[in-house]
Amino acid sequence: MEKEEIYTRLNKVFREVFDDESINVTENTTAKDIPDWDSLEHINLIVAVEEEFNIKFNMGEVTTMKNVGEMANIIASRIK
Amino acid sequence: MSITSLTFFLLVFITCLIYFVIPQKYRFISLLGSSLFFLFYDNFNLTTVIYVLIILLTSYFSSLLIYKYKDTKKSKLFMLIGVFLILGILIYLKYSNFILLTIQNIFNFFGSNITFNPVTRPSTIGLSYYSLIMIGYVMDVYRGLCLPQKNILKCALFMAYFPILPSGPFIRYNDNAESLYEGHNFSFSNLYLGLIRILWGLFKILVISERLAQIVNTSFNNPDNFSGLLMFLGALLFPLQLYTNFSGSIDLIMGVSKILGINLPENFTSPFFSPTITEFWRNWHITLGSYLKDYIFYPLMKSSFMQKLGQFTKKHFGKTASKKITLYLSMFIMWTLIGIWHGGAYTYIIGSGILQFIYMLFEDLLSPVATKVNNKLGINSESKIYRAYQILRTYLLFSFAMIFFRATSLSNAFTIIQNIFTTSHNMQITSLGLSVANLIILLIALLILFIIDKISIKNDILEKIKNSSIELKIVILGIFILTILTFGMYGIGFNASDFIYSRI
Repeated sequence: MEKEEIYTRLNKVFREVFDDESINVTENTTAKDIPDWDSLEHINLIVAVEEEFNIKFNMGEVTTMKNVGEMANIIASRIK
Repeated sequence: MSITSLTFFLLVFITCLIYFVIPQKYRFISLLGSSLFFLFYDNFNLTTVIYVLIILLTSYFSSLLIYKYKDTKKSKLFMLIGVFLILGILIYLKYSNFILLTIQNIFNFFGSNITFNPVTRPSTIGLSYYSLIMIGYVMDVYRGLCLPQKNILKCALFMAYFPILPSGPFIRYNDNAESLYEGHNFSFSNLYLGLIRILWGLFKILVISERLAQIVNTSFNNPDNFSGLLMFLGALLFPLQLYTNFSGSIDLIMGVSKILGINLPENFTSPFFSPTITEFWRNWHITLGSYLKDYIFYPLMKSSFMQKLGQFTKKHFGKTASKKITLYLSMFIMWTLIGIWHGGAYTYIIGSGILQFIYMLFEDLLSPVATKVNNKLGINSESKIYRAYQILRTYLLFSFAMIFFRATSLSNAFTIIQNIFTTSHNMQITSLGLSVANLIILLIALLILFIIDKISIKNDILEKIKNSSIELKIVILGIFILTILTFGMYGIGFNASDFIYSRI
């Protein structure tokens, strides 16, 4: 899967989870850029991304990913 | 050993002396020596040593085996063995009586007259901290976040670094272990900043907390003698006593660590300026919150049970409700555990657990309603007055929950609450144990605390002091020492050892 497609699908998940159609994620997007992205929503986001790509993040990844770029890289490595 | 005792400061002084004199690569061993001395100073017997050793050896060997068998099923098995063995010891040593009492209450509820005699278990200082820190370490190795420590002495130091034993903060292997092993060189800057932080901690403990303790102890210990306003004052001041006592001890141990060149994570960031309880807990005992988030809340939310519950509720109640149901259930479990961690008593479970959960639940449920009401009434929720109201509301809610935390039993808590709402005996404020002069000192000290806390929300005060002129540095140090010597409550016969979080 191309990186571009991953970001398009991630964007869809982000808009759904945070209920905000104005979101446009890039590899540098972090929790600071999205007001509702706190520790509670983080786990909802993780679960939604897992469902979308049919993958599983491990707990180490869940607690350490710093931005959307890292998330996309993990997704890319899982669905190769 | 109390961290405000002369023995503790003597231990710190000797530790620093040895630490900076011996070769760099052996410095961590001197820290380990001091840690073992501190750990067993009050309670040295074979049983205690054995329990400490079991926790150390369990974490040491399970982490090595987890790594050896990584990416296989055995890895998970060793992680589970490690976690449950340490957890088992913690529960056995700390919660035996609480479990027995709960079983007894359940039997009594169903009409049986069974009674258990309380059991005595050996315990060491810091058990609640070092057992959870080592569980975190074992899980981090399993999650691939860090490599296992092959040197057992280094592993022991990570487990029992002495300044954090009485009241935390929780440390993480990835973030803090290297700093413990490194063997830092002496620096005047670290010594100065460390001393300032120690003195700020002592100011909070000896000048403020010990005065507040007089009022709080007098009112809480004799609720029948006080009613109305005075009991309310006692309840209102307890959170401040807890804060100055707990954050003061954290300042003190951060200062000691700074002198040694060791940086620890901050545990408080001006919590009493928080507009909501949710925000309050992001600023209060931060390392506990972040520990529980990573090791309990996230795994719980990602567990197959929660996923299945999520799918079931989504099908029957819709997406939004489903999200809330799993979230609230996980939060309820986590906050009950926080309550239990604070101590094996219903007062702790209600005060620092379930009530906090209820507050957050209502904050989440009512926030859209509040926004609508504010819009309709034309209330500006961004205004300073509205923010002040939110801060006050948060403080009052927290104070109410802390009545349970401080009370000796549930019935004691209800007596206190009842007394707050009864007519006052018209007693003098000085009947709470502090003279007018001491009350004035307390008020001024509290004002200083609030100003410093307010400033530190947006500024790194220590960094500013670090960059100031040498003259100003001397003046600041002098003012601190003089203030504590003059207004601190200490001396022969006085024992500031009742550290609230050391009971944990």
